[in-house]
Amino acid sequence: MKRLLENIKIAFQALFLNKLRSFLTMLGIIIGVGAVVAMLSIGAGAQQSIIQSVQGIGSNLIIITPGNPEEEQNLGAQFVFSGQQAKLKAGDLQAIEREATLITGAAPVVFSSSIISYSNNSGQSTVYASTENGRELYNMNVEEGKFYSKSDVSNASNVAVIGQTVIDKLFGKIDPIGKIIKIDGKNFKVVGTLEARGTDTFGNDQDDFISIPVTTAQNKLYGLDSYNMILAQSISEEEIDEASEEIESILRRYRGIRFGENEDFSVRNQTQILDVISTITNIFTVVIAGIAGISLLVGGIGIMNIMLVSVTERTREIGIRKAIGAKNRDILIQFLVESIVLSITGGIVGILFAVLIAVLLSNFTVLDTSVTILPIIIALSFSTVVGLFFGIYPAMRAARLNPIDALRYE
Amino acid sequence: MTENSKDTIIKTIDITKVYRIGNIKVNALRGVDLEIKRGEFVAIMGPSGSGKSTLMNIIGCLDTPTSGKYFLSGIDISKIGDNELAGIRNKEVGFVFQTFNLLSRTNIYGNVELPMIYSKDRVTNKRKKVLDAIESVGLSDWIKHRPSELSGGEKQRVAIARALVNQPSIILADEPTGNLDSRTGEEIMLIFQKLNNEGKTIILVTHELDIARHTHKIIYLRDGVIHGEEEVANRLSAEEELKDMPRLEERLTEKHVI
Repeated sequence: MKRLLENIKIAFQALFLNKLRSFLTMLGIIIGVGAVVAMLSIGAGAQQSIIQSVQGIGSNLIIITPGNPEEEQNLGAQFVFSGQQAKLKAGDLQAIEREATLITGAAPVVFSSSIISYSNNSGQSTVYASTENGRELYNMNVEEGKFYSKSDVSNASNVAVIGQTVIDKLFGKIDPIGKIIKIDGKNFKVVGTLEARGTDTFGNDQDDFISIPVTTAQNKLYGLDSYNMILAQSISEEEIDEASEEIESILRRYRGIRFGENEDFSVRNQTQILDVISTITNIFTVVIAGIAGISLLVGGIGIMNIMLVSVTERTREIGIRKAIGAKNRDILIQFLVESIVLSITGGIVGILFAVLIAVLLSNFTVLDTSVTILPIIIALSFSTVVGLFFGIYPAMRAARLNPIDALRYE
Repeated sequence: MTENSKDTIIKTIDITKVYRIGNIKVNALRGVDLEIKRGEFVAIMGPSGSGKSTLMNIIGCLDTPTSGKYFLSGIDISKIGDNELAGIRNKEVGFVFQTFNLLSRTNIYGNVELPMIYSKDRVTNKRKKVLDAIESVGLSDWIKHRPSELSGGEKQRVAIARALVNQPSIILADEPTGNLDSRTGEEIMLIFQKLNNEGKTIILVTHELDIARHTHKIIYLRDGVIHGEEEVANRLSAEEELKDMPRLEERLTEKHVI
């Protein structure tokens, strides 16, 4: 133990003697470890915030959209008003509400971008039309006033609840409750305001929207008899897959799709979406970490190179130590400790560097980062292994030197 | 054990050493029988190429003979491995080299301490032993300094302190005065004579007869064999010699003694 401390002291002395050289050697490790930790932090942060924003829509959601995703390769196509046969209509919603046992509720969604105005202020916002059930499913919490009611939906009343951004755009400091706004030229009475939800991972403002009864949207605004999608909420997270399957079979039956035929609708749930997202972010993380790992390898080769130079430079010192009684093992450990000290010091500096980058990124950019302990431990042990691995050969060369020749070395 | 007498510290029986340089065999030693007793002060002399460096390396356990036997303090050294050899060097041999061979980046204390760091046995009172060794060569005020701040004679005194610190059986000095002026060399010989008077066994390799005449016995080596052995009749006393020498060093060392 004491011998080890002695060796660590000798190693630091040797490294301090060539400060610039030691620093340049460490730079490879610093960059490698820094890149690994920073990239893993960014990846973890991105994953967390994507998951949060997906879950922010509502929890345990099942999303039913018209059209078969396998036939319509383009994912975006599902959100476009789809072809005749594929439309989701009131009958589909009623079938689900009537027969499904594993859901707490279902709501239709019609959405479109519309021009909105109040007195002289106007702008463009997304209109999400739904039923009174949509409030809970879409995580819309009323701040002031009330949400539109069941009777508003059945009467196709001209009422609206509005998000914070819309309030800022149209009203400023004025209390919007009870005011009449225009949506695509039609008058709507504001009955409620919604709590702020902030922006999602992709920078979209989640408060820039208006919600109105779906019947009003269909009959008075857009002239539709169908929905863009139907949302349903499973009774629990565990049963979300069964609930999805149940809805799938209800709709197949209702829509008369025979066995073996492809569906003309698709049922997906949040878990599946989250799975896809984590697969993508995991691949991203692994690729970046792999590249960073290569720079660690290059850093390791740098250490080996400089240790070989160091062994040659200090041949005489090795000779003196051996003449005085140092065993091969003592010399081996001395040089191994030196290369490990070099790589661990580099690793620690790299981690500090990465944490600094992560903190700066999350404070000054939209990127969220999450510094976790695991990548730090991995990076540190990896850099130790790099120091050990690339230090062994030079240390063995040093240990094997013949003391007589080493003493004669000029 | 074929130890003849308790007093015999070094005994070589017909040792040879053959080097191979490419295809050429070099017979550096061709049968050397040597016996050195405890407390002796012996000089080994010979021209370059006589094999005295090879003999020195073998006596100092830096190398093993090709054939023959070598006993150091009763231990058969001829056939043991590198690591055991290192252990024996550490415990039994104190080296003093012509070129001092101090660690340039380590201070005087660290240099003298070095053999203890590699000592197998637990060393008690380490600090006191190191300081005693430094004091015995008169460098107590210099322990924090680096070798580069010292004169040649002072460096050699540090090397002697280092050789003494583990209380070895023999002190092996290879041309210890070769890089020093005559007065400083004489001062080093004074230290060796003092150590010998205290009972230390010292083996000195030199090609200067004046230096060799400070010892008890001179062994002449030529072409890898012992050519002759001679007791020194009227031994030179370094103390006496120094009285007659101009004190060149004084002026040089003055700058240190602020």
